[in-house]
Amino acid sequence: MGWEEVQVRGYPEFVRTVQGYHGRPIFALFCGDKDAEGRSWCPDCVTAEPVVRKELHNLPDESIFIYCLVGDRAYWKDPNNEFRKNLKLTGVPTLLKYGTPQKLVEEECFKAELVRMLFTED
Amino acid sequence: SVQAHKEEDNPEKKMEVNGPTPMPVPNSYDYDLIVIGGGSGGLAAAKEAAKYDKKVMVLDFVTPTPQGSSWGLGGTCVNVGCIPKKLMHQAALLGQALQDSRKFGWHFTEDVKHNWMTMTESVQNYIGSLNWGYRVTLRDKKVTFENAYGEFIGPHTVKATNKKGVEKLYTAERFIIATGERPRYLGVPGDKEYCISSDDLFSLPYCPGKTLVVGASYVALECAGFLAGLGLDVTVMVRSILLRGFDQDMANKIGEYMKEHGVNFIREFVPIKVEQVKEGTPGILKVTAKSTTGNQIIEGEYNTVLLAIGRDPCTRKIGLDKVGVKINEKTGKIPVNDEEQTNVPYIYAVGDILQDKLELTPVAIQAGRLLVQRLYAGATTKCDYVNVPTTVFTPLEYGACGYSEEAAMEKFGEENIEVYHSHFWPLEWTVPSRDNNKCYAKIICNIRDNERVIGFHVLGPNAGEVTQGFAAAIKCGLTKEQLDSTVGIHPVCAEV
Repeated sequence: MGWEEVQVRGYPEFVRTVQGYHGRPIFALFCGDKDAEGRSWCPDCVTAEPVVRKELHNLPDESIFIYCLVGDRAYWKDPNNEFRKNLKLTGVPTLLKYGTPQKLVEEECFKAELVRMLFTED
Repeated sequence: SVQAHKEEDNPEKKMEVNGPTPMPVPNSYDYDLIVIGGGSGGLAAAKEAAKYDKKVMVLDFVTPTPQGSSWGLGGTCVNVGCIPKKLMHQAALLGQALQDSRKFGWHFTEDVKHNWMTMTESVQNYIGSLNWGYRVTLRDKKVTFENAYGEFIGPHTVKATNKKGVEKLYTAERFIIATGERPRYLGVPGDKEYCISSDDLFSLPYCPGKTLVVGASYVALECAGFLAGLGLDVTVMVRSILLRGFDQDMANKIGEYMKEHGVNFIREFVPIKVEQVKEGTPGILKVTAKSTTGNQIIEGEYNTVLLAIGRDPCTRKIGLDKVGVKINEKTGKIPVNDEEQTNVPYIYAVGDILQDKLELTPVAIQAGRLLVQRLYAGATTKCDYVNVPTTVFTPLEYGACGYSEEAAMEKFGEENIEVYHSHFWPLEWTVPSRDNNKCYAKIICNIRDNERVIGFHVLGPNAGEVTQGFAAAIKCGLTKEQLDSTVGIHPVCAEV
């Protein structure tokens, strides 16, 4: 069985989803919300998303890829938002391997090599 | 007897078996530089070389300890040395601070207890982020990293074996050996089966409990110090003196402080046998020790025995004989010239494996960087190994730069040196009624050279922070007069 994508929005939905997939490798990409035309308020997220999507075929079998919209710009800028407080996210986009210290932040997500390393190496 | 060889099985092995490794053609090497060892020195050198667009490979591999511990990229400092050590030292200091805080007005009704697993998980998590960070940096700078054991098999050629046993060969124009060291074992029955070392301590998945630390190195005393600070029953077994090579006046003060603060010392004994009384995590071990001055034998039971009796360079099994690199057969260390070059011109070495050089992370980093700048950027600066500051993170921290009192007397003559010293009582220790005569500072001056400060020693809180600035001053040729004319900051320990 290959990998599966799940799309979520907001912290509570993210947490619920993660708990549901306990036991499988979980990767998550956090981006700013998209408007009615499908464009994010976060320009770096716009750049990073296609790079990450292009590498998804490298995900290990049984993996879950969670595409998570964190909220609007105001929510994100609040230093006490749940993603910052609980997941220790420092910026968007962030691509991480859940349950490990392995993550890529902001411009690191633009680099296909690094994304591939996160998906394929231990 | 006749052995059947399956020659088709492993063509790469065949190269080794059937004859000498063919000499690679210059200018067709796989890499400009291969660094063997991904620790402080190796990574610094590799990252620096990448700056000059060189094709670089790093080989890093951790042979698991007898207890099965292993770790990621970054070397000793990051994984099983400086970093976890300082974090656990900090954990112990915070325990002390909690006690002090009551005198400053903080009230808490619950008993304060320490949880080993909580601390260890946090520390390991941080280390994991460092391991990952190094891999990202190397990949980003296009440095090839392989988690494989590197050894020379012929001129300009290394064999890299990964944990699955897959072997690959690589050639390079130049090599840097930065393989570091691993803890030494006692060589007595039960040592490898039952004892742990610093390689195991920082990721131990259970609280070590009542611990016997064997050794009197800074590793032994730092570990004994924080374990005691976390509330554990700790005994240190010392063969002869404390902190060999360090100023003995300071070493004894450190020992006294630790003794007064709950660490037991057994002096002039060495373990001759370690047996398991009960299995468990931790179990119970029985240690039998013999006096170094007579025939007396003693026994003791501990949950954990931590060996910290020295570290040996990883130079004996990396094929140095195949390329003719000379090592000190007794110690395993590699002698190099002042440009970190071994006796083989295209092979260099940095870090703890070097003979007669300080075993410190910043020294390895500096040496690695400057070496690469000389090789690829036309620089000429050599690494300055003189007046390197250090700090020992025992419960009472000790910072030093320059000569010990003994070394100064030997080098310059007792009559030519003047020692200025003072006890001091940190202001923060007054209210909680902590010791008023333990913190201590001394400087050693060369009378013949304008009373130049040639040795700086301080025993007290934040010794490392205090020492760093004075190290820069000493590098600039600080004299006693200049020191005297520098106005102190008040109220801080450093003003003394």
